[in-house]
Amino acid sequence: MEISMNDHTSIHIQNLHKNFGKVQALKGVNLAVDSGQVFGLLGPNGAGKTTLIRLLIGATQPTSGNLSVLSLNPGKQKSALRQQIGYMPQSPALYEDLSPTDNIRFFGRAHHNGSLSKHVDEVLEFVGLSQRADDPVYKFSGGMKQRVSLACALVHQPKMLFLDEPTSGIDPKLREVFWEHFRELTATGVTIVVSTHQMDEALYCDKLAILHEGILLADDTPSNLLWNSRAKIKIWRGPEVSEHEVTNYPDALPGLLQKEGLDNAISRIEVEEDRLETIVLRMINKQIGEKNQGDRK
Amino acid sequence: MIPSIKRMGAIAGRILKQLRHDHRFVAISLVFPLAIIYFIKLVFDALASPFFDISVYVIPYAAFIVHFITFILTAIVLVRERTAGTLARMFVSGYNQIEIISGYLIAYTVLATAQSLMVLLELNLLFELGYGIKVMAEMYLVMWLLSILSMALGMLVSNFARNEGQVFPFIPLVVLSVILSGIILPVEQLPEWSQILSYLTPLYYTNEVLQELIKGKALVDDMAMLLRLPAYGLILLAMVTATLRERD
Repeated sequence: MEISMNDHTSIHIQNLHKNFGKVQALKGVNLAVDSGQVFGLLGPNGAGKTTLIRLLIGATQPTSGNLSVLSLNPGKQKSALRQQIGYMPQSPALYEDLSPTDNIRFFGRAHHNGSLSKHVDEVLEFVGLSQRADDPVYKFSGGMKQRVSLACALVHQPKMLFLDEPTSGIDPKLREVFWEHFRELTATGVTIVVSTHQMDEALYCDKLAILHEGILLADDTPSNLLWNSRAKIKIWRGPEVSEHEVTNYPDALPGLLQKEGLDNAISRIEVEEDRLETIVLRMINKQIGEKNQGDRK
Repeated sequence: MIPSIKRMGAIAGRILKQLRHDHRFVAISLVFPLAIIYFIKLVFDALASPFFDISVYVIPYAAFIVHFITFILTAIVLVRERTAGTLARMFVSGYNQIEIISGYLIAYTVLATAQSLMVLLELNLLFELGYGIKVMAEMYLVMWLLSILSMALGMLVSNFARNEGQVFPFIPLVVLSVILSGIILPVEQLPEWSQILSYLTPLYYTNEVLQELIKGKALVDDMAMLLRLPAYGLILLAMVTATLRERD
């Protein structure tokens, strides 16, 4: 698959493979991520999301394939890249006996940063922890630790953020707050790559890549994925009901009604659209089916 | 990336700040060696004849205690950095191997300086060793260098351990170094194959220098003797740097 690249492309991945011994974690992934968008990596556990993020930040080397992040090679130009990116791992990865200020300052000091104190205050304000800035982190709840972790990833004002399941294990209200933060950041031009296995969250992304067992199943906007989904349409004529299954139902519905004969007898039309979860599961099942067929051959 | 003194200082500063909050860790590092030496004093008082030259044994034993405790604590602290994900985060933030290792060495050297000094003062006080300031200063230098070597050894072991539990198999090896180093028996009396292992333990070189000092020889009289420990340390640190990796 050829990936089109333009001036706005921040990440370019071509035929990327990553093996851990005999395990193939990524099997020929092709992707392009545009600047200033929230790009979601969606897939079940073990899909290859974390491996892909670790490759993009230069924490591990690809087995084969090409990748560039902000026009840099993450493997070969690691230090130049790391001045421009922020990374929030799955676990908070903080020094729990230190305060949020100490943690943020410490990770911030790794970068060439002129006015660190000002930036520390700004990110504390941004994640809403100014009041607890000097308390030790071990006293914090899981959600608060995630906020400190996000602040650590933001302190050097990166152009691109990599967030590995940033909202796993936190309550829905805080998840909304996190997504508000992400939106505010993309509004300033920051590109965000976020991995998740929560479908409702995936809908907030500008674009989604669906991964399963190291294979990229789809790469599209959530609305396009939903648009091309299947819908069940039920048409009532008095007590009689006819059921139809169509793809892209806004386009398909007029034709269907013309075929059915749009008349006064139609008393009710019901449309049951696929949810994103169903679409993803169908893609996964299709891939498993194809794989099994291939194995049998 | 060129190692930066500023970033090394940031790491050392962060560790020292953590030490200020971790009273238990500091107490184990400082009080445990003193308590064990006091226990040895009680045993020697009960067993040894008053005409027995105690310093030949007690100073190297104290060195071993410092070595053992520093080694374990450093290894565990660094493995904890790995399991908590903070080591990976340090790398992604832009800190490099040399900065991380140097930062740790700088911070723990502060602790080692206090630890070696307290141990030596206690030895002198309890066992009435009666050495002059010059000999004590030389012994202090040796003990201090051993602390730093022990840290480096702890760091090296931590690079091969994925969790705290994987540090434990290395502990018997360090305990074995009491026999291998010649503290109990002269190395020449050990089987030939184990003599090769003796040369690998930092305690062997420490004991060698300490025995010379106990006999009344000065460190500066023999440059080879003076440089053996720092040379061992540099080799160890090169190995630590080569093996400290962001894991796959």
